[in-house]
Parts: sequence; structure tokens; C-alpha cells
Amino acid sequence: MSGLGKDAREPWFAVRRELSPKRATVLTVISFALPLLIWSAVSYLPFLWHPDVQLQLSAHRKDVATVYVAGDRVSKGFFPEFQSAVRKQNEELKEQLASEDPLDGASESSVRRANKKVLRHLAPLLIKNRWLKDDQNTDDEAIYHAWGEIASGENTLKRPALSEENIAIVQENWKAMSAIAPNYDSDLFISVPLFSLVPQGKASNPDYLPAPDRVLMTGVKIFNIPAEGGRPSMIQRVGHSLQIVFGGFLLAALVGVPIGVVCGTYPFFSRLIEPFTDFFRYMPAPTFSTLLVAIFLANDAPKIALVFIGTFFQLVLVVSNTTRRLDMPLLEAAQTLGASQRQLLAKVVVPGILPSLYDDLRILLGWAWTWLVIAELVGVKSGLTEFIETQGRFRNFDLVFPVIILIGLIGFFTDQILSLVKGLVFPYTDDGPKASSHPIVKTVLFIPRLIKRLISKSQPDAA
Amino acid sequence: MIPPAETIDYHAQSPEVSERFTKLKERPVVLSVDDLTKVFPSRNGDVTALKSVDFEVYRREFMCVIGPSGCGKSTLIRILAGLETETSGAVLLDGNPVAGPGPDRGMVFQSYTLFPWLTVKQNVMFGPKMAGHKEAGVEADARQWIELVGLSQFENSYPHQLSGGMKQRVAIARALANRPRILLMDEPFGALDAQTRAQMQSYLLQIWRNLDITILFITHDLDEAIYLADRILVLKANPGEVDEILEVPVPRPRNLDQFIEPEFIATKHHINQLIHPESERHQDNLPFPRMTPLGDDVE
Repeated sequence: MSGLGKDAREPWFAVRRELSPKRATVLTVISFALPLLIWSAVSYLPFLWHPDVQLQLSAHRKDVATVYVAGDRVSKGFFPEFQSAVRKQNEELKEQLASEDPLDGASESSVRRANKKVLRHLAPLLIKNRWLKDDQNTDDEAIYHAWGEIASGENTLKRPALSEENIAIVQENWKAMSAIAPNYDSDLFISVPLFSLVPQGKASNPDYLPAPDRVLMTGVKIFNIPAEGGRPSMIQRVGHSLQIVFGGFLLAALVGVPIGVVCGTYPFFSRLIEPFTDFFRYMPAPTFSTLLVAIFLANDAPKIALVFIGTFFQLVLVVSNTTRRLDMPLLEAAQTLGASQRQLLAKVVVPGILPSLYDDLRILLGWAWTWLVIAELVGVKSGLTEFIETQGRFRNFDLVFPVIILIGLIGFFTDQILSLVKGLVFPYTDDGPKASSHPIVKTVLFIPRLIKRLISKSQPDAA
Repeated sequence: MIPPAETIDYHAQSPEVSERFTKLKERPVVLSVDDLTKVFPSRNGDVTALKSVDFEVYRREFMCVIGPSGCGKSTLIRILAGLETETSGAVLLDGNPVAGPGPDRGMVFQSYTLFPWLTVKQNVMFGPKMAGHKEAGVEADARQWIELVGLSQFENSYPHQLSGGMKQRVAIARALANRPRILLMDEPFGALDAQTRAQMQSYLLQIWRNLDITILFITHDLDEAIYLADRILVLKANPGEVDEILEVPVPRPRNLDQFIEPEFIATKHHINQLIHPESERHQDNLPFPRMTPLGDDVE
């Protein structure tokens, strides 16, 4: 606690001056909290962005082919047009009802069909208000009953509510309907045209930006869907994707590391191998996809091969560079100590570059991840990408987001764990084994520590 | 009262000192450098780094090489270690020509060259293990070398846990573990602070005296050279030629108090004259106008 005052006097902004561990942790927390906060703000504050209107209540327009149902999004500009079109339609109906021919030449059965639609347009709102169950959207009897309750004022819709205008329309329609049948009866259903409910909606963001809570909920949901028929469960998909990434990466490392080390050690091999490798790496791996399918056929082989091609050539060059960066004086010292050429490679070069090599492979594993999506589209689509592709085409972005975030999390935590493990594997490097001082570990422990501190503060005599 | 340095003849050796040098030159020659020349080819014509360098190092001698920067000191020791090849001339170790680096010439570098992935003990064991000696014997031996440089309690530490001076002590132990015929040291204390350097110099003298080893030591520090050496080889720059090989008249055993003794000062003065001729030194006199940068009144 005594350090707090000293910390407060330190400037937050000073060129290349390290922040205190506490401040560094706070900033790491903010670094993750900030994007989440922005996302939440845009999602939950209706005055931020929200360029669309999501329909809670839709209506059918005569002579217009496009049909909107509740849940659809229309642009803010179009929505009033939609409403006034429906109002105008109701005006016209009023005149028509007052005229000689209330049916305007239509058959009774077609009027009944249209009336049923009008009736059912209220269903989504009723379901939202939990008057009806999710599967009752065509339960005409229940819907009819609800119309009655609303018209009589016996019950009111609250969340979301029905507009005054629509309540009036409900009452008017109910007057006509109840005169014929107080309870729903398909045989006695009204054959006089009913007024359409005027569309209602709330400001919303486009479907490609689902709100955080929705992403979380669907995320939890899609992970609990078990494998069924030919469709693997999400866990199986993750496993499959990991197989592709690590398969391609490990293969590239297994072949590439020895080649890279040899290139970095002997100029002979460097001259022989590196120029072509340097050229080859500029050919984008995806351009080989059809070729790979021709060679390795369908299934996983061409996918792993694509990750391999995308990683291997880069890896050889990176490893050979790392090998060349080994301190020359170390090699000279070893020679003056009597190390032979072969001993230099085995006893100095290899152990000398291991920590840097470890870092290189960590970075290259990240590379391998970037090829995953393209690899999984090669041949037969599979894994997480297949899910993203399919759901994305249906614009189910609330399903796509959790998977994208999941890939990010897997990659990020693999890297963090590997960087933690480094300290244990290479205790002689300066970034030694102090897991508890690692920024991510500290961030994960930040909340529990804060709680602990607050508890101990509130009970000063506990000790 | 110390007489002015110019008036003392550094050649004037006391009888014991001159007897010591007579004896020294009766010993067998360990390292013999014969008409050594090194030319580096470059785009703007060849650069001669060393020209006809000729000298001998006797058994158990402590020889220092000193010279202005760019005189080829480092090139010389790298050729002796076998890390560079000479353009012409020969290097003989116990009469046999040297080809490439080998454990018979131990080397301590200015930069820290301990293997970071090995502990202190493993570093010291490196040379003998490369030679194929048995692990058990090598380990016991390494312990003794580490004890000799006073780092027993650090034998399982990694280099990054050691201070600069400790690292160089391990480097010395590591080079000695191979039992080399000569220990080559390339400004080994150049990166250390003044206190540590003085301490390391005394350590080195103790080790040298107790083990009777032969040392060739490169430095650009006159005090260091005079304090340590039996003889000092002064190199001239452009091209690197032997200017003089002088016998240090300061009696042994040496201690830091000798830095102000007449022989010491006279030797230093003499080398200074060789390295920085009178004419060159006067060019350094800058005009120095009177200024009052602090704005206060100057009396």
C-alpha cells in the first residue's frame, strides 16, 4: 500500500519509461475491456449508429411481392414508407367497406385467407410478450383469443407494447369479428376484409453486428449441439481444425528446422537452398489448392499440405536467419576450446539457437493459423470454416461470431502458454521462469486479487 | 620526491630485474612468431594490418601487446589463436607450425563468450568433453578450476546470473581446463569497470604465478600492461609493425603501490612517447577562450 503514493507521482506518459507492474496490468485489462465496451455501446445504446429498424410487427401489402416478417430488418429510411403504405391501404379499405361492394370483387375464401394473415401478424408480438409459446405462431384459436383480450382492454401487451393506432385497429377488427363469432371458428370466420396492423419496429444494427449477449448465448448454444448424422459437433470441428493447423505446422517444422539450421550454419547450403526458397515463398499457398487436391485427393491431406506450403518456405528462411544470428564469438570460443566442425554444429549451434528457434516457431504457428481457413475450404469443406461458411451464407452472423472469436482465443492462448513454458524450458534466458509476473497471468488473476484486496480492506481486523 | 619522468632511464634495471630477464631468455620458447604479415584485400586496395612481426614468448612469461587502436593487436592474437590465417610468415607453437584453432592455445575474449545454455561447471567442462575425456574425471577437474577462480558457490549458476568480472573468471577457468601451452587474452578486462578490472588483474597475476602458465595479453591500457607484463611488445599502426619490445623494470611481486614508483612512471612515459609522438600530441591543444557560461562574475 505504501507504494501507492509513489506510483501516483510517476507520469503515465514518459518516453520509453517502464510502467509499474500494477499500471501495466490495469492497461492490459483495459486493452481487452475497451473493444468489448465499444461493441456493447454500439449494440445497446439505441442512439449510437443503429441504421436499421427490426420489425416486431409486420404487415402484408397488396400488390407488393416483397414480404417482410417480424424479425426482418429494413432501413430506417424505408420503414416510414412501409407504415404509410399500410395506412393508405387501410384508408382505401374503409372507403371500399362503405361502398356498394365491400369485397371489391374478391372471392370470400381469398378474403378469409387474407384475414387469417392479418390475424397472425400479431403472433410474433404475442410470443415476445409470452402470451403464446414459441411454436404457437399459427395457433389461430389462441391468436383469436388474444385479439379479443386486447380489444376489450382485459389485457395489454407490454414488452413490446402495441401502438395506440394498432390498438384502435384491433378494436375495430374485433368489433367486426366478434359480431360473427365470439370464439374462433374456422367455419364462421369473417369474410369481410379486416384492417391491417401498421408495422412496428425498433432501431437496430444490421445483422452482421450481433450484440455481445447474443453472441455469447449462441456461442454456448452451438457448443451444446451434439453430433448428428453427417454434421460433427462443435468440439469435433475444433479438433479437426486443430489437426489441420498442427499437422501442417509440425510437418513443416520437422522438415524445415533441420534445413534452416544447416542453411544458417553452412554457406554452401545457404547458397544452394535459400534463393529458390526465397522465390517460392512469394507464390501464395492458396494458388496451389487445386493442384493439391489433384495430388492428395479430397479429405485432410490437401488441407495439411496447404498449411505446410504456407508455412514451410517462410520457416526455412526464418530459421536460417536465426541460426546466422548466433553470436560469432561463441563459435570462435568453442573452436579455441577444441570443438571440431561437427561438434560445433551439435554442441554450440543447436543449443545456442534453441531459445530463438522456440520464439520463431511460436510466430510461425501464428502463420499456420492464418492458412487454416483457406485450407479448410480446399476440396471438401470441413471443420470450423465449414460452419462459418454455411452460416455466413444464411446471414446467421450471431453463429459466425462465436466461432471467429473462438479461433482467436485458441491461437492467443496457445501462444501465451508457449511463452510461459519458454521460461521453464530455457531457465538460462533472461526472460526466466516467473509465471506470476506474466502480464496475461496477472490479468487473469486481476479480478480475484482485486476482490481479495477489497475483502481484506473491509475487514481490517481480520488478520 | 619523484624525479620528472623524462629524466629517468627506464632501461636502468636493478640487478635482480636484469638477472630475471637473463633467466627468462634462457627458458624454452613456447610461441614463436616469424616474419608475420597480414594483408586484408579491399576494394580500395589492400590494407596491410601486420607487417613482418617477429617475436618470441618464453615459457612462463607474461607478455603484453600494446598499441594505438587500429594497429592490428586483435588481428595478431586472432592469427595466433588460429581464427584468422596469416598472409605470410609463420606461427610456431613449441616449434610446430599452427594450423587453425586448437585447445593448445586457450583464448579469453573481450566479449563474454560463456555458453549461456550451460552452467558455470558445464562451461568449464566443455573443452575436455570435446576432447573426449570421461565425464567423471572432467567434472572433478572442473570443480578445481572453478575453485581456483573463487566461484565454487556459483558452479551451478547460469552465465546470465553472473557479473561481468565473474564471467571472465569462468572464461579463464574454461580456457585453463584444457591445459593450454599458452593463454591468449584479447583485452579480457576491457568491458569491466575500473574497480573490477584492478581486482581481476591481481587475480590473474596470482593465477599466473601459482600455475606457471605462459600468457600473451592484449590491452590498450598502459597501466595494465606495465602492471602485468614481463615484457611489453609495442605495435605501431599503419601498418602494424613491432616498434619495440621492452623489458619492464618494475620488480615482482607487483602491487598497486608500484604505480607511482619511478620505474613504473618512466616506463609509462617511454611507451607514451612511442605511441603518441610529441608532434602529434601538440595538435590536441584547442584554443580556449575565456567564457562565463554560468553568467556569474569572474574574478
